[in-house]
Amino acid sequence: MNNGEYWNPILETMPRERLQKLQLKKFREIFTWAYERSKFYHKLYGDAGIEPGDIKKFEDIKKVPKIEKSMMRSIQGKDPFPYGDILSVPLEEVTAYRQTSGTTGQPVYQADTWQDWEFSTEAYCYALYAQGYRAKDRIFLPFGYNIFIAFWAYHYAGEKLGCEVIPGGVLNTEARILKMQELKATAMGATPTYVLGMAETARKMGIDPPKDLYIRKITVAGEPGGSIPATRKRMEEAWGAKVFDQVGSTEIGHWGWECHHQAGLHVNEGFFLVEVEDVNTGESISEPGRKGKMVVTTFNRMAQPCIRFDVKDLIQWNARKCDCGRTFRLLEGGIQGRADDITKVKGVLLSPMAIEEVVRDIPQLSQEYQVVVTKKGDIDDITLKVEILPEYKKDTDAIKAKLTDQLRLKTNLGYNIEIHEYESLPRSQTKSRRFQDLRPH
Amino acid sequence: MAQEYDIKGMVTKIKALRKNAEDLKKVSGGIPAVDKNADRILANVRMLEIDITDAVELMGK
Repeated sequence: MNNGEYWNPILETMPRERLQKLQLKKFREIFTWAYERSKFYHKLYGDAGIEPGDIKKFEDIKKVPKIEKSMMRSIQGKDPFPYGDILSVPLEEVTAYRQTSGTTGQPVYQADTWQDWEFSTEAYCYALYAQGYRAKDRIFLPFGYNIFIAFWAYHYAGEKLGCEVIPGGVLNTEARILKMQELKATAMGATPTYVLGMAETARKMGIDPPKDLYIRKITVAGEPGGSIPATRKRMEEAWGAKVFDQVGSTEIGHWGWECHHQAGLHVNEGFFLVEVEDVNTGESISEPGRKGKMVVTTFNRMAQPCIRFDVKDLIQWNARKCDCGRTFRLLEGGIQGRADDITKVKGVLLSPMAIEEVVRDIPQLSQEYQVVVTKKGDIDDITLKVEILPEYKKDTDAIKAKLTDQLRLKTNLGYNIEIHEYESLPRSQTKSRRFQDLRPH
Repeated sequence: MAQEYDIKGMVTKIKALRKNAEDLKKVSGGIPAVDKNADRILANVRMLEIDITDAVELMGK
């Protein structure tokens, strides 16, 4: 029975036992495909002494070696140029090139055939439909259509759903806001940083987004803000819209999204296998409530297969079942940071996301902040720079005291707090790197 | 509004779509306008297989 809730009720409400059987079947298929067609995977698996016939039960998947970004970087730039030995189709079948943003180093090249791109689009359709996008929506995309994957699939998925998609390409922020207003756009997709920055710009232009614009649905991606309650609240209030988190990456595709119940990220388990591993021991974590590192397999990306990719993002399963009726599992708190970003400061494990949650929960502060960790002698020193909104300057001391208390409570650390003038910290339109660790390593 | 769907019927018609698109390429004489459009159709057929056929095949096992 299709009741209009699901893009594909057959997969989205499949009983868990059958879903796991499907995942095993699909894992075997992509493993075999890569083993037979990619020199990179053939060697990786040959060296590990594993071949397709060895994947008999779900637990056998764990025996398959993981891949990391550094491995992909080391093979690219060679023939078949520029992808190297990971390529699993003839080069002439590749129809699109994209690359990672390079946030963590040299960008990784990504090859897609047209069918692969259809798959990326299809995966995004599950997200947008679950978030309530329908043919009556007019979507505005304030994104610089370029070599990064960013919101490309959102665009194609919007079209596939029958929405009207307005490519906001090279327009500047002011022009984008005016175009949104002129065309009465009802939905948009952007990074949390840009969603907040756009609202700030609109207000300066004398436009109050909830009153003067028509955006009622926003899908955010590229940064963890959509699943940080304080950041989400800011975005929803700034726009008078519902904000939905969506996660994916260039190498993997769009593997997780919130439905309109906003109960957490659903993993599209019909298209992807997401495993959670203990950061230190590598032990599988299947129970909810225990944070670990994500390892993900994309079942149907054929030109450049992504099999047991160690993403280094931290996630945990949620025990809760969503009211939407999907059998796809939920994640608690979305992406909870990167294993690489969790750092020890003064002997305490610190996640930059915990700081963001505190800052964005104080309405007298702007959304911008910077964290700088240095070393003074043998002692770590941590500085938090925030901006106070002009109308609250008289409350600076009280806000500083509140920040100090909240940060101590949430992170167990003391900070040098610098309160800056509004708009004095750098703004970013893309993935923000607000955390700087300047300690000598 | 809730609507019933016919899983077996969908699987049969998806198979027929694939066969038709593949057969079209066999008789195209290599006309790019036919082959490349058939390839696009086949990419979409693959999505139907991923969404429906692959999932349904397990139901009988």
